[in-house]
Amino acid sequence: MNNRSKAGRIVLEIVMVLLSLLFLYPLFLAINNSLKSFGEVMSDVVALPKQLAFDNYSYVWSFIDYPRLFLNNAIITVVGLAGIILVSSIAAYKLSRTKSRVSGLIYILCIMPMLIPFQSIMLTVLQLSKDIHLTNSTWGLGVLYWGFGAPLAVFIYHGFVKGIPKEIDESATIDGASGFGLFFRVIFPLLKSVTATIIIIDVMWIWNDFLLPLLMVNGSPSTKTLTLAAYTFVGQYTSDWQYAMTAMVMAVLPSIIVFVFLQKFIVKGVVAGAVKG
Amino acid sequence: MFKSLGRKWGEKLEFGIFTLPVLICIAVAFYIPFAMTIRYSMTKWNGISKHPKFIGLDNFKQIFMGDANFANAAWFTVKYAILYIVIVNVLAIGLAVILDMKLKSTTWLRTSFFIPYILSLVIVGFIWKFIFMQGFESLGDSTGWAIFKLSWLGEPGLAFVSIVAVSIWQSIGFYMVIYIAGLQSVPEDLKEAATVDGAGPVRRFISITLPLLAPSITISVFMALTNSIKVFDVILSLTGGGPGGTTYSIAFDIYRDTFQNNLYGYGTAKALILFVAVLLVTLIQLTLFKRREVEA
Repeated sequence: MNNRSKAGRIVLEIVMVLLSLLFLYPLFLAINNSLKSFGEVMSDVVALPKQLAFDNYSYVWSFIDYPRLFLNNAIITVVGLAGIILVSSIAAYKLSRTKSRVSGLIYILCIMPMLIPFQSIMLTVLQLSKDIHLTNSTWGLGVLYWGFGAPLAVFIYHGFVKGIPKEIDESATIDGASGFGLFFRVIFPLLKSVTATIIIIDVMWIWNDFLLPLLMVNGSPSTKTLTLAAYTFVGQYTSDWQYAMTAMVMAVLPSIIVFVFLQKFIVKGVVAGAVKG
Repeated sequence: MFKSLGRKWGEKLEFGIFTLPVLICIAVAFYIPFAMTIRYSMTKWNGISKHPKFIGLDNFKQIFMGDANFANAAWFTVKYAILYIVIVNVLAIGLAVILDMKLKSTTWLRTSFFIPYILSLVIVGFIWKFIFMQGFESLGDSTGWAIFKLSWLGEPGLAFVSIVAVSIWQSIGFYMVIYIAGLQSVPEDLKEAATVDGAGPVRRFISITLPLLAPSITISVFMALTNSIKVFDVILSLTGGGPGGTTYSIAFDIYRDTFQNNLYGYGTAKALILFVAVLLVTLIQLTLFKRREVEA
């Protein structure tokens, strides 16, 4: 019995590893073909490259101006994230500490938008953003994310602040701290773990987001994001699959590298975000 | 007394300073656009003329009375959502149970199944388009299997299956880690007690693991539902709505009407219907699951 179950485990182990390789095979094929010449891609997708065609990468790199795109993505993500965390954490703290009808109402107003699908308001978001001059600018797009990210962040922070004893606020007040000083020096450090959760889920969302950037910053090559550039690139090079795959690999590579190094935190953050959200 | 009045005002001021920024941000992102959506939905407007023409509820009448595109897109979305929710959750529970068995390769397995989830859906769509169009041809030539010779993006039924499959491939890792977390909170001695009682693995799974997974199932089904009603990115890059316009989802149909056909008023009316649908489905689901969890 014991031997049998041991053998069963080994078989299961082998089956699962094979399954995982099969699961990742499409990604392997994408990388594989990004390193081939056009002729090789056309004749056989599965075969390995005879000679590594790194010039695909240098071609796409300069054609789409990769460093620029990367910088755009970074600006949008950092600006968006910083704002979400700042405005949501102070509001959630105050709302959680204040027990009044107004406070409860504001809290509901903050989290209700989680029920509004983005596609229901995409046209009017674009109209409004044009009116207040947030379009065609990476900074503007970053600022717009403050509102889109706030409902979930307020919700998560609000729940967490409840677990922080009020005595901490009171003793800090006695020590002379108040207002923002009290929040940033005493409370904010205690929110570290939820802030990490919010950073993880929001970075994954903003970095990979497509529809909002498509509406907001697709007008000029200088404001595009990585995903947008890859999208446009494929539209222009419909049959040059080797370039298309190179663009895909270059667009996803930063995410994969970050994930490999931080996967424990990322998985934990994603689970925490889902369970609390 | 004067002092206490001052303190009260000070508190109110501070409350305002702390909460106003988030209210402004949320108003700009959601409430103002939402109010504009309601207004535009009752107009006829192409986005170019200065003043949208007020036409009352005509847009809604037209959508419900005779818009084949919308009806098809709605039916597509319903089919997609049901299949996606059921399959992704069943598979994710299966994977989670296996990964919870502490195999030697658990870390590797978790990483590999999770990786597609960190990638942008549009890009995932393009990579799979390449696989379906070019990769399957090569695989068909080298294996001779008929499955690779089918036109996975060229036939309506198969294109639908492809979209569901690619969506599941991209997101299964997410649901899997939620279930793994759920399983790890099932006390070990409970599982052992059941083994001692002579319960086989299947029996143990049905009568112990599954009920204890209920909270995780609620979360996952909820997430799968909200995501699948809004499906857009993956269709855009994988099939572009084709073949023959058979794979338009509601979100994609709204996008087509507003940004490709410039029917601003009509498109926003559809957008409002999507909102109501999402709201209803969410409320029904929340009440249903709440009741069941209390009973269990």
